[in-house]
Amino acid sequence: MRRLLVFAVGCVLLTSACSAAGGDAETNKLTVFAAASLTAAFTQIGADFEAANPGVSVTFNFGPAGGLAAQIESEGTADVFAPASLSWMDEVANKVGVHDRTDFARNTLTIITPPDDPAGIGSIADLARPGIQLVLAAPGVPVGDYAREALRKAGIERAALANVVSNEHADPGVVAKVAAGEADAGIVFASDIAPAAARAVRAVPIPHAMNVIAVYTIAVVEGSAHQPLAEEFLRYVIGPEGQAALGRYGFLPPP
Amino acid sequence: MSATTGRSRKAHSTPVGLSLLAALGLALVALPLLGLALRTPWSRLGQTLSSESALTALRLSLVVSIAAAAIGLVVGFPLAWMLARSRFRGRALVRGLVVLPLVMPPVAGGVALLTAFGRSGILGRPLHEAFSVQITFTTWAAILASTFVSFPFVVLALEAGIRSIDERLEQAAATMGASRWYVIRRVTLPLLGPQIAAGVVLAWARALGEFGATITFAGNLQGRTQTLPLAVFQQLQTDPEGAIALSLLLIAVALSVIVALRARFLPAS
Repeated sequence: MRRLLVFAVGCVLLTSACSAAGGDAETNKLTVFAAASLTAAFTQIGADFEAANPGVSVTFNFGPAGGLAAQIESEGTADVFAPASLSWMDEVANKVGVHDRTDFARNTLTIITPPDDPAGIGSIADLARPGIQLVLAAPGVPVGDYAREALRKAGIERAALANVVSNEHADPGVVAKVAAGEADAGIVFASDIAPAAARAVRAVPIPHAMNVIAVYTIAVVEGSAHQPLAEEFLRYVIGPEGQAALGRYGFLPPP
Repeated sequence: MSATTGRSRKAHSTPVGLSLLAALGLALVALPLLGLALRTPWSRLGQTLSSESALTALRLSLVVSIAAAAIGLVVGFPLAWMLARSRFRGRALVRGLVVLPLVMPPVAGGVALLTAFGRSGILGRPLHEAFSVQITFTTWAAILASTFVSFPFVVLALEAGIRSIDERLEQAAATMGASRWYVIRRVTLPLLGPQIAAGVVLAWARALGEFGATITFAGNLQGRTQTLPLAVFQQLQTDPEGAIALSLLLIAVALSVIVALRARFLPAS
């Protein structure tokens, strides 16, 4: 009996210790959940924002929209959400609530190959050739869904999907597999290869009629402990400094 | 309660501080499992687990993990034997190298595997250029990744086992004319039964849970390289409940095999 009691006390101590550590009341620490494709651009914007607002620190969690949305729903630790997909923003808006929702950038798809282009990829039609090793992001990941849509528009969905050798969980995985020369081709956002990865892979444009335009949207998450700062960050992203940085990293201006 | 029984009870009971820490340790393992069980969509569990993608991932996971454990034993025993019995320069270095996969982040292991066996790797490039053989994105790549992270368990268990064998038994067999191979096959290996079981089961369990090196080196394709952990991860993006069900399946497989083998090979004192 006594041992059981001690065990119970241990359990209670454990849970209370965790809740004590959980409440983060610091007002100058902003947490931003953003699309994996925004990694380079937002890291730059975050540094600029910190420089413009001394004492403020911005922490990013980059990943595919679905995973981020699930984390926001279960943990509620995000102040700002910026996915590469409108439907995942709708999901968070419905389940958690958001405000100041604004479309802030667009992105198009591009084919990438290793620099030496071992399979001789000249156009999107070549992705349907038997034996091509194609890497895409997984279905359910925004860039993976957009890539499948582009293949459908090009009329080669069946043949190209038969060439898929790996479904990566986010854009960087696709770029890494192609840059390493393991796969013959991949489909990613134009921003995924600009400017850091531009030398590691070769880009083959997808014609406008077959391309997909992804719209990026940003919002303050309801229940954020840092509302004013979150709104300020959002205004910075849609303002001239943020837009200039996004342009440098291969994004198009919002519609 | 008399003074004497009180003292004797005290001698056998665990100190309070120790109990508290033990409770913390147990809670660390038990709470996540409890959470998983509470969140499990029991009503659609059967449907999720009998789906084609779940069964394919389960089958592939079993093939990959069993193959990794078997290969681990085949290459792990000779290494363990050399480390335990041979005196050679650089033995400490070899032992360090062999256990390195245990402390290396699996993703880094996957990157390292790419630089060796990838299409432009040390061994992968000549293989690809001469025979058009590509390892990445194949089930072999998944097996290689799992073997890489798990075979140190076999080596460590067997090296300790070989050291604990009374060498006089082997010497006796040798003086009666047995060849060195014969001694290894008929004396050393049979004496190592429990350590082989322990090493292989540990390696198998590690291979079953392997994720980072696999997704980095082998990629993620249903039926070819998408093992259960990779399926859990992908499911998490779109269907968290399904991911929980798959996690439960993974735990059930690992637990049932470990419990069954523990009763058979590793009787608790």
